[in-house]
Amino acid sequence: MQTGKNSLHHTAFHWLPWIIPSLLIIGWFVLSETGRVPTYLMPHPFQVGKAGYSYVLGNPGESPYSGRFLADAGASLVRVAGGFAVAVLLGIPLGILSGRIATVRKLMGSTINGLRAVPGISWLPLAMVWFGIGLKTTIFLVALAAFFPIYLNAATGARQANPLLLQAGAMMGVNRLRGTFAILLPGAMPNIMTGLRLGLGISWAYLVLGELTGVPNGLGALIMDARMLGRIDMIVVGVIVIATIGRLADQLLKTSMKFCFKSARRMA
Amino acid sequence: MFQERQEDGLKPKLKAISGYKSDDPLQEPVLTISGLRKVFAGKGTFHTVLNDVTLRVKDGELACIIGRSGCGKSTLLKILAGFLPPSSGKVLLNGKPISAPGPDRCMVFQEDTLFPWLTVSENIGFGLKRTVKAKREREAEVDRFISLVGLDEFKNYLPHEISGGMKQRVALARVLILKPQVLLMDEPFASLDAQTREEMQNLLLSLWKKMSYTIVFVTHDVDEAVILADRILLMGKDPGIIRDSISVNLPRPRQRDTGDFIFFSRKLHERLRK
Repeated sequence: MQTGKNSLHHTAFHWLPWIIPSLLIIGWFVLSETGRVPTYLMPHPFQVGKAGYSYVLGNPGESPYSGRFLADAGASLVRVAGGFAVAVLLGIPLGILSGRIATVRKLMGSTINGLRAVPGISWLPLAMVWFGIGLKTTIFLVALAAFFPIYLNAATGARQANPLLLQAGAMMGVNRLRGTFAILLPGAMPNIMTGLRLGLGISWAYLVLGELTGVPNGLGALIMDARMLGRIDMIVVGVIVIATIGRLADQLLKTSMKFCFKSARRMA
Repeated sequence: MFQERQEDGLKPKLKAISGYKSDDPLQEPVLTISGLRKVFAGKGTFHTVLNDVTLRVKDGELACIIGRSGCGKSTLLKILAGFLPPSSGKVLLNGKPISAPGPDRCMVFQEDTLFPWLTVSENIGFGLKRTVKAKREREAEVDRFISLVGLDEFKNYLPHEISGGMKQRVALARVLILKPQVLLMDEPFASLDAQTREEMQNLLLSLWKKMSYTIVFVTHDVDEAVILADRILLMGKDPGIIRDSISVNLPRPRQRDTGDFIFFSRKLHERLRK
């Protein structure tokens, strides 16, 4: 079936996502080489590359940041995973309930939309008082931030569920509980997926916020620490690492949802 | 050939007497509807959609309900399905009141109501999961019904990959597999092209002959009603009532180009306009 033109097109398509990152790096390289941007604002790519190499693959103790990658990434992943899990466990059931039941929607709508308007950073001082510095505060912030998109999208998905599909299920003898799992949730899957992806994305933003407060490890802590020591190259390394892990996490989320659920696999 | 009778059991008023089958008094009707009213309440207003609808449908009968749009024929079907409660009156299946949807009265909708995340065979097996636990047994049954509606080659396709006519075949198979006593059909072929519609009508008739269930078929297409029905129930509008009950005694299989068919269909058109 596949013609030459098709496969060529396919290959080009495959490389599409790499074009913008490549252009950014080339532009950065050119700006640094020509000296238009001073190194104290943006270090040379080679310097960042070296710092990154040492951060990821170097032996601990060689220099302040060498070999810290695994510990930092591990700590951050645990915080994101914990906060995201709490957000999913609360957001999806509450979202589905308020999407289907007008009373629940009325009961929770104002409160949730009010809380949603509060910027995450305003919770930081309170969270520090409540949970101290470190794991718990970060998980709280991540969970809080990721909850809203997950909840809102699940609610929208449930509210927009095609009533005819639910009627069809009812006439085939499906009770309410099975209907929820066999019809409502798969039907709301596109919205649920959107919510999960938005939630996971925002989790990384709030992770850095949570780690800015003096925790010893984590990717956010790395950036904060590097800022105080004036290591701009390490800040850039931190940014690139978070972007990479964030992208991989999104991909992992999509892949595992598709692996687990037919409705995610067959989403249009 | 063209008969009518009052539904309230008065003496049949016959216009022509060729092959009239009288009601067998010993045969209990499957569906009994008497004095059915349905009123929808709006903002301070009430709209009577169905007013004193009375009808009986016998076991194995193919009854077509025909009427202009807005006469309440879909509402009547939804009440039979148990999706809507009646405002007053009796709606009985085998003498028991209908209160909720259930697999003994299955509906084929006009709209596409297949589960888009399930394949053709998974859609057809959906309702069977509850009753048939053994997977192999279920699959055998699903395969049988896929063959019955002629979709063997498409069993692993998703709904968005097949045509509208095929979707309605799946919709038919997924309810027939549950062996419903009454099949409710709400203009199921209205959105198909003329040729596909005819194919589907023939398919429905052949399955009906094979499996002998009771069908209540709502349509606004006169020819469709004449092709399919044992009996045509003509509904009037504002408020919805059953105006006429007309037995169709044309021999089967029916042809659209015979004089009898055309005569019947013209008569019905006239009656509908009144």
